[in-house]
Formats: sequence, structure tokens, C-alpha cells
Amino acid sequence: MFRKILIANRGEIAVRIIRACRELGIKSVAVFSEVDRNSIHVRLADEAYPIGPAPSRESYLRIDKLMDVARRAGCDALHPGYGFLAENPALPRACSETALTFIGPSAEAMEALGSKTAGRTLARGVDVPTVPGTNDPIENPEEARALAQRMGYPILLKAVAGGGGKGMRLVSNDEEFHSAFRDASSEAMNAFGNSAVFLEKYLEKPRHIEIQILADAHGRVVSLGERECSVQRRHQKVIEEAPSPIMTPELRKRMGDSAVRIARAGGYINAGTVEFLVDAHYNYYFLEVNTRLQVEHPVTEQVTGLDLVKLQIAIAAGHRLPFAWESITPRGHAMEVRLYAEDPENNFFPSPGKILSRRAPSGPGIRLDEGVYSGWTVPMDYDPLLAKLIAWGNSREETIARLRRALEEYSVTGIKTNTALFRRILVEPDFLRSEIHTKWLDEMLQRPHATSDSNSRAADAAAIAAALWHASRESSANAQTPEKSSPWKMEGRNRLLDRTP
Amino acid sequence: MKYEVRIGGKTRVVEFTHNSETWRISLNGNPLDADAVEVATNTFSILLDGESYEVRITPKPDGKLVVSTSTEEFTCEVADPRAWRGRRHGAMEAEGRQQITAPMPGKVVRLLANAGDKVDVGQGILVVEAMKMQNEIRSPKSGRVERILVSEGQAVNSGDVLAWVD
Repeated sequence: MFRKILIANRGEIAVRIIRACRELGIKSVAVFSEVDRNSIHVRLADEAYPIGPAPSRESYLRIDKLMDVARRAGCDALHPGYGFLAENPALPRACSETALTFIGPSAEAMEALGSKTAGRTLARGVDVPTVPGTNDPIENPEEARALAQRMGYPILLKAVAGGGGKGMRLVSNDEEFHSAFRDASSEAMNAFGNSAVFLEKYLEKPRHIEIQILADAHGRVVSLGERECSVQRRHQKVIEEAPSPIMTPELRKRMGDSAVRIARAGGYINAGTVEFLVDAHYNYYFLEVNTRLQVEHPVTEQVTGLDLVKLQIAIAAGHRLPFAWESITPRGHAMEVRLYAEDPENNFFPSPGKILSRRAPSGPGIRLDEGVYSGWTVPMDYDPLLAKLIAWGNSREETIARLRRALEEYSVTGIKTNTALFRRILVEPDFLRSEIHTKWLDEMLQRPHATSDSNSRAADAAAIAAALWHASRESSANAQTPEKSSPWKMEGRNRLLDRTP
Repeated sequence: MKYEVRIGGKTRVVEFTHNSETWRISLNGNPLDADAVEVATNTFSILLDGESYEVRITPKPDGKLVVSTSTEEFTCEVADPRAWRGRRHGAMEAEGRQQITAPMPGKVVRLLANAGDKVDVGQGILVVEAMKMQNEIRSPKSGRVERILVSEGQAVNSGDVLAWVD
């Protein structure tokens, strides 16, 4: 097993990895940019080293600085977390040159599976369905119509040179095909000077369902089942759950099998996620592979009882997976919401600032993976994810009730958070029935929503609190004058920075 | 202390008055069975006829307040019809010898200046605690503290003269 792991990340995921290290008796080494000196991952780690200015390209994305810290601190492994360099093959390459074990797949597996086009080719090679269609231009409309028939309507005609919906036509039956083809071609010609179009199956209201896999270095590849992440805002996941409400044991087996075939074909080792779209007829189509730990991994941990980060470390250390695929069946239900420092009432604009107070939810069935504390200033330089709130219960209903309850307990002042968004989603009838798809949330946000009743008793309480706050605002405003840095603190910081080239 | 609070087009008048030992809160002129505590920064526990609300305040850049309970969220505008304090962003500096009075009944918890000190407009002179909140009483003008008439720990009533600034 490793002695000391460098964590090439920040925020809640760095904290998550530090926790795994501590449970395994492994020393953890954090890195931090100038604005992260006070961050919680620095406080919790066994060691911490500065790696430069706030912009990530000058700090968290600097492989040379990471390798330097690893050498000086005597690390024998590196965990990339998610984001930043986690899916960059240059990082595992640099690690192997530094005799550092990269906790993740090889650079080659990342390249074989990470890019969308390479992944699709590989998936087709092992008979895993991708969204049907062709990336080549249609030369013979009659052949294309025959292909559309075989794939089944509706289909989408798309301009090869296109974008922005120009040269795009939805075709719902055979009769419409030729006129739609003419329209799409001429529109593409007008818009892009290129009339070439190709066709792709149109997935109506697809759901996003992904399979978590684990692969050890001894040839065992297992599926840990699915997570559904159909609640997305502009392609960003907002709520994740397991199991998927539409899943059947049979479909789970088939999708898991497909995911394992893809991982094997790519020579994949460690934890990864194979993403699929699932249509209304339970057909699934490969989307892409995420060659890293996912933000939403706790959902799988809660229903399988496994610790994915510790398993990642064990796999990287050459251990065998201690269980067979067949032994894994999800128990109960888990659901995660991503709490961001952003304002849902103001177009989800980030809301960095100082956290003046905070109360964490707790109690039965609640887990909070968090990277913040009261008194900490959320920097404006990074993704404003504050915490992931995960609930689990015996049923989906119990899980949602717990999540709602925990969101009522969660309290942060000083910054805006997106909790109001979840309060809204978690009572939507469509969501409760799980009649959702990847565009569902964007559509929901277009609809006007009921604002809180200004005649209610709660509004009375709000008015009293607002008046009290107003009465005390000058003294509290006075308490917020920026603190001056003490000279010795600056001196210490400068010395630390000098140590990193 | 009296405030007008506007929420969603509806205006409430919230008034805090002192009654021997305790504070009373009235809403639109009607006394309430209510109790309020600031339990954490910008977080108030309000008991209203026994109903428990936890209310969080997030000021917006435009001066409005986002006020949220555990399940509701309101946008509030607060107006202070009888502004009594020296303005923090002192556009309106008082002239001449100024008497500083207690805006509310409470207890002097801290003196921030001594007699003879030079003070700027808006500078804190003393802190009065009321309703479990500390309020800094500021100088209405630049000048010199002529006298301080209270001491730390002293209870004061609304309108009591606390200090003179010239």
C-alpha cells in the first residue's frame, strides 16, 4: 500500500480523498493556490504546499509544480479527483516519469475511451449501441431514406457544417423524408455554403443513465450498477440518483455488460463511468466514458455500501477487487443534490463571498460531502460547488422526503445558494413520478413558478427578521471591514511560494 | 423603532417597543406574542404565537434583502421612517453641538471613545445592546467628544442623552 498520496485537487473532492487516505493510514498531501490557503482541504491534510496564483492554469493545472511537490514531499501516488487534470493523459504520463503511481487509468486507456469519437468507434467495435446515424454526408437520398427506415423514425437531419439549428430537420415518417432532405440541404447551403447533411436517430426525451465500473489490474471488471442523472441544467447534472426509477434487473444486466465490454476493450483499469442515453422504449445508446471518479459517486456508495475512493487506491496499489459483480445489488435508494454558491433567481449567477454562518443538516440517512466552513470566503476563481448533499432511504419516496427535510435544515448566510431550486424540483409532480428527461429541468425553468405567499405567517416572520437585521446592520457592516494581513503571515507565505518554482 | 417592510407589494409596519423588562414586537400596530433571537450571523429564530421560524437574511447589492425561511423565500425592502442614526456614508453631516441620545432602551456594553477624543462623522462612540443585538451609536459629525454621560454596563432608556459631540 502507498505511504503518501498527493491530492491534485481542491474543495470537497480533495476532502473526500483525504478522508479515504486517513482511514487507510496513508498520509495525504494537499496543494493550494494563493486564494486557497484558508481552504478546508489544506486544514485537513497531513501536509500542504502552495502551487501558485489563483488562476488554475497557473496552479492546479501545472503538472510541473505538482510533480515537484510530489518529489519534495516524498509521495508515492497521486489522486487527481475530478475536473482540472483528471482526464488529461499528460498527467499519468508525467506520474510514470516521476515514479509516482497515478490513481486512475493509464494514459492510453484515457485516450482510447476519453474522446467522444474514439469512444464511439470502440463501442461499436464491441457491439454496444451508439446513437444510430452516420457522420458522413448523405450522397444518395434514397439510400439515406432506407437507412432511416431501418433505424426507425423519428430521425434528425443535420448539416455537416452546421450548428445553431440551421440545416436541421426533424423527420417523423417516411413520407416527410424527401421534402425534409431538400429543405435541410438548401438551408445548409444558404447558411454554410455546404449542402451536405447527415442523419442521426432523434431520441425523444432521453434519460441520462450511467454505469459505474471498477476494473482491477488482474482482469476483473465489475459493474456497480447505474446512476440516473437526467435532471440537468444546460447539460450540467443537478440531481443524481440510484437506482434509476425505470431500471429493471434485466436492463441493468445488459447495460452493465455493455459498460464492462467497453472498459475491457479500452484496457481500462480503476474506477470509471460509462454514460448512456436511454429512450422511451428502453433502448440505450453509448454516449461517452468518464475516465475518472465522478462528482456523483457517493450515490453509488450509498446503495452498494462500497467506498469507491478506497477501492481506487487499492486498485492502483495492485490489489484484486475483493468481490464479484454478481454479488452487487443496490439496496435502498440514494439521491444527491449539488449545492452551489449561485443565485437561481438571478440566472444562476455565481455568488462568491464570505460564509457568515452555516448549519449542516444531519440525522438519519443524510450525508454531506462538503468543502466549506463558516468564516471561509468562497473564491471566485473556481467552480462554485459548495457541497453535495446525499440522502438515502428504503424507497425513493423516503429518500426524497429526507432530502427535503435536510434541505430545510441546511442554512448558509453570507452567500446565495441554489437550495431554492431543489425545494422546487423535489415537489414537482413530474419529478416525483420520475417522468423526466435530460431537457426536463430546462423546460421547467421556463415555466413561471409560484412565489412565496406574501400574506403568510412566514412572511410576517420574514418582515420581523428583516426589520431586526436592518436595526443591527451598521454594527454588523462594521464588523466586516477587511482584515489586514500581518507582516509575518505575508513573510511566511512568500517563503512558501519561493519554494515552488 | 419602527420599520416599514415591503414584501411582494405588501407593506408591513414592524415596531419594537420596550415594556419594563422585555421587548414587544408589533405588526401593523397590533402587539404580537413574538420573540426574536439572532442565533447566528444573519440568522434569526423567530417565535410567532408559538410557531418557530428560522429566518436567514442575505443582503443584495441593490439594498434589498433576500429573506428565507426553511421553505420559503421572500425579497424584502426595509424603510426606516424615523432614521435616527448618523448616516454611515455621511452625506448629511450635522452641524453645531450635537446631543447623542439612545435610540432604544438597552444596555451600554462598550464605550468606543472617551471625552476629549477627536471623532470623524460616522465613527462609533459607544455600543448599545438591545434585543440581544449590539448597535453601534455613531457620531453625527466630525469634531470632539465633549462629554460621555453613561458608563459600560449602564441601562438606558429611549431618548436618554448618552454623549455630546461638538
